[in-house]
Amino acid sequence: MRERVLTTLHGLFLLLVAVLILFPFYWMIASSLKPETLIFRLPPAWLFRPDLAGYVKAITENGIVPALVNSVIVTAGAVALGLIVGAPAAYALARYSFKGHAQIQFWYVTNWMLIPVVVLVPFYLLAANIGLINSPLALILIYQTFVVPLVVWLLVDQFAAVPVALEEAALLDGLSRFRVFTRIALPLTLPGVVVAAILAGIFAWNDLLYAFILTPSTDARTAPVVMMGFLGGYIVPWQTVMSCAVMISAPVVVGGIAIHKYIARGLTLGAVK
Amino acid sequence: MAEIVIDGVTKHFDSVEVLKRIDITIADGEFMVLLGPSGCGKTTLLRMIAGLETPSRGRILIGGTDVTTFPPARRGVGMVFQNYALYPHMTVRENIALGLKVRGLERTEIERRIAFAANLVQISQYLERRPRALSGGQRQRVALARVIAREPAVSLMDEPLSNIDAQLRTIMRAELLRIHRAVGMTTIYVTHDQEEAMGLGDRITVMNFGHIEQIGSPDEVYAHPANAFVARFIGSPRMNLVRAAHRPEAETVETPFLRAPVPDGIALPPEVLVGFRSEDARPGEAEASETEVRGQVDVVEHLGAQIELHFRTEDGQEVVVRRPRGESRWREGERIVLAIPKKSVHFFDAGTGAALTVSVS
Repeated sequence: MRERVLTTLHGLFLLLVAVLILFPFYWMIASSLKPETLIFRLPPAWLFRPDLAGYVKAITENGIVPALVNSVIVTAGAVALGLIVGAPAAYALARYSFKGHAQIQFWYVTNWMLIPVVVLVPFYLLAANIGLINSPLALILIYQTFVVPLVVWLLVDQFAAVPVALEEAALLDGLSRFRVFTRIALPLTLPGVVVAAILAGIFAWNDLLYAFILTPSTDARTAPVVMMGFLGGYIVPWQTVMSCAVMISAPVVVGGIAIHKYIARGLTLGAVK
Repeated sequence: MAEIVIDGVTKHFDSVEVLKRIDITIADGEFMVLLGPSGCGKTTLLRMIAGLETPSRGRILIGGTDVTTFPPARRGVGMVFQNYALYPHMTVRENIALGLKVRGLERTEIERRIAFAANLVQISQYLERRPRALSGGQRQRVALARVIAREPAVSLMDEPLSNIDAQLRTIMRAELLRIHRAVGMTTIYVTHDQEEAMGLGDRITVMNFGHIEQIGSPDEVYAHPANAFVARFIGSPRMNLVRAAHRPEAETVETPFLRAPVPDGIALPPEVLVGFRSEDARPGEAEASETEVRGQVDVVEHLGAQIELHFRTEDGQEVVVRRPRGESRWREGERIVLAIPKKSVHFFDAGTGAALTVSVS
């Protein structure tokens, strides 16, 4: 009897948490489908005829599609560069001991906590001087300030968990250190690499501050910047804003669901070994 | 082919000296076992031959070439690891093929070698499986096949049978010998199991605390141990060593509980260890030429074909005696005399542990 009460309470609590988390998503999607007149009605209009006008407007008038393409380019570029730089760095930190090892590892991890505003102005001046304003390259480079630390932080433990004997066997088999990395270490840590890539991708995809400052032109804007653009005037077109929000968050939600199993594993794998 | 010369190799880890001036020459095609308790430096020595560690001093020559500074890939050695070290993300075939592909062999040659090695270690039917789907014994065979297919001049084995259950280990030991005969690679085999060493080695290097105690054939180290350590380490049960102080310059070691005639030409230190194997001692009166030990039967154990007598000398030193099953007339607590034939008795310096011999045969 007592157990059943507990189980019921447990279930109710989880339901409450789920509602708290899912309600904003529901509200975002619902608002993107409601005509402007219904959005602010109180009590809320639970039943309404869905209307795609917001999406049509976002695509035809506000150029959300090219902005999403820009976002994809910048995110993919940032993640690719971050993995190319970060994965070998993590491997070196996991496998070699050298002077300054602890300091470098600490430096990577603390960079992750860097406050963006600190580097924003200097980086803007740098980018302006070498003509990188409005270039996706500027964003790809500045995103390395958080992508590389994230990749290194997640992958050091992953590489350290690969048994040393496996790599020694490969060295004796005639593989160079680099091939040991690409043929043995990387395939064995692939789940961790995927998690690092997706997490880094989500951060890059969601960035507003750097993108807002470094890509002012209409052609170069990323999706969050476009959405930000709606908020400046006297009238905010909420249905269009919410339509953009749905399109921007969809890939993040998909990515999050895709890796939720790996995240727990990726984050704890290093801890137990 | 490949003779291996280890020339004055010393290894420090920080300030700890784990190997002290090791000199060993291993003939081409020889099966050499490095035997010793854990921490004696045998695995470190093996890893230095493989190129996974660098000697602090000294040289390593393989086939006449000084390879001391060579990376593992350039030494022409293959290695079987204690925990197999198979690549878990590759099939058995890919595991064997990797080292061959890296060396740029042609596809037909790679296939030929995989087939040969897989057939030799009898894993042909598992080539498409992942290591995860294999038993311990099968994994060890794959690790062997990986080395055999490479056709290295030297194969190194680091306790390859220690993770396999006892029954299979005996079978694999015979397999290893068969494969070694078939392929003829110079083999260095590390183990702490003296029985394994005796069964496998053409010669055995007995190591302890980073130095060599003795190098010799299994028969030599068993019958003529160079010192008390080897005498204790080789053989099961281990050799009995009875400590005895005696009058200097006497021709017989004589104490209240022991009398041992000493062969001519041996100069005895004031304190000696008198050694004999369990199967060489016989309860009963000793003849004048024989060694005699007096004491009491502690426990009698029946081991099937043999009886094991735990015997305590009159001053409390423990001795183990093994006799055939028929002789079960001793009772626990009974006072008896053990007789050991002259040729089965070994004398060691109780201080240094060195064997006291007239001349090493």
